[in-house]
Amino acid sequence: MSEETFMGVPRSRIDWCPTIDYEKCNYCMDCDKFCPHNVFEVRENEEKKLIVKNPHNCVVFCRACGKTCGLDALSFPDKSATTKKIKEVRKELESNE
Amino acid sequence: MSSRYAVLPCNGLDKSVGCIAREIALGLVDRSESDLICPVLFRVSDARYSKMAAEKPLLVIDGCSTRCASKLAAEKGLKVAKKITVTEEVKNRNVKVGKSLKLGDSELELAGSVVEELLKEEKKEESAAGHEFSTITYDYEIYKKDKFIFRVPRTGFYFNENDCWVVVEGNRARVGVADYVQQSLSDIMFFTPPAIGAEIEQFGELGSIESGKAVFEVISPVSGVVTAVNENLISAPELINENPYEKGWIAELELTDFESDKEFLLDFEGYFKVLKRKVDEFHV
Repeated sequence: MSEETFMGVPRSRIDWCPTIDYEKCNYCMDCDKFCPHNVFEVRENEEKKLIVKNPHNCVVFCRACGKTCGLDALSFPDKSATTKKIKEVRKELESNE
Repeated sequence: MSSRYAVLPCNGLDKSVGCIAREIALGLVDRSESDLICPVLFRVSDARYSKMAAEKPLLVIDGCSTRCASKLAAEKGLKVAKKITVTEEVKNRNVKVGKSLKLGDSELELAGSVVEELLKEEKKEESAAGHEFSTITYDYEIYKKDKFIFRVPRTGFYFNENDCWVVVEGNRARVGVADYVQQSLSDIMFFTPPAIGAEIEQFGELGSIESGKAVFEVISPVSGVVTAVNENLISAPELINENPYEKGWIAELELTDFESDKEFLLDFEGYFKVLKRKVDEFHV
């Protein structure tokens, strides 16, 4: 999966995934059931029963799991900062060619 | 006369926002000719409410984004005329809501002001007719998987990797979602339009559409100012399921920097590849 790209930029260089607020999360796991990309992992026997296991599987700019969360426990990076970063990396890659 | 609704609140009794949803519903019934649908009784008995929901426009009030009331409406096959979510109202008004299930002054005030707004609302007409996009030709390539058909227009459309499209004429753009979105959501029951005049950055949120399954944020392929929204979708969001490229378009914008936006968009060939991969990997 290492060559996965988003808009021509390696996915691993884009910082986009949900962050779980453990103060709010009640482990209903609706987000995990919803996400088809395997971003989360359920760990029944640990204190944090839900983690973001595969952040780079997360679709850049998608916030759909956050919209399933009744407690508003998922947050995402700022979109325009992410776009800016993607543009910078693209420029950098182009100038290296 | 849409100050009269059939009101379906979530009535989530173990959460303060659910209790506020209930309060808003009670306020509406008290102050207008609205009728109340009890979500608990509705779940076990249709007879009483189905007729009511058919007679008046349905207003759904969800407390939080678990969207129990919306899901109930979807399950019962009801047409949603209007929808609010209390957590959104809380955010928009910048108020604090406590955890207590007994409503305090600020919660009651919030409920009152939402009721007020709902009763006022019908006067505000956000009308801005769409522009004629005379150069669009609709010629589709089809990708099939099981019973699902995914159409992608061959010419004139650009796409982002979030399955939204744009068509451009001069400095005007029309934006919508691709077939992949409507197939994944299945029956779309609600459209939240972006505000006319709003300035949207590329990849910013351009309203949202929602089904019983999920809420999809429309991710704008271009930057610009919203000049029109597809008003028909408000009463008939199913137009997006019928054809999201034609009658199911979402909004129009006046472009601010299409040349630079374009660098981040895919043409037909690029998007068709992305679509095939997504369908093969995720569409079951």
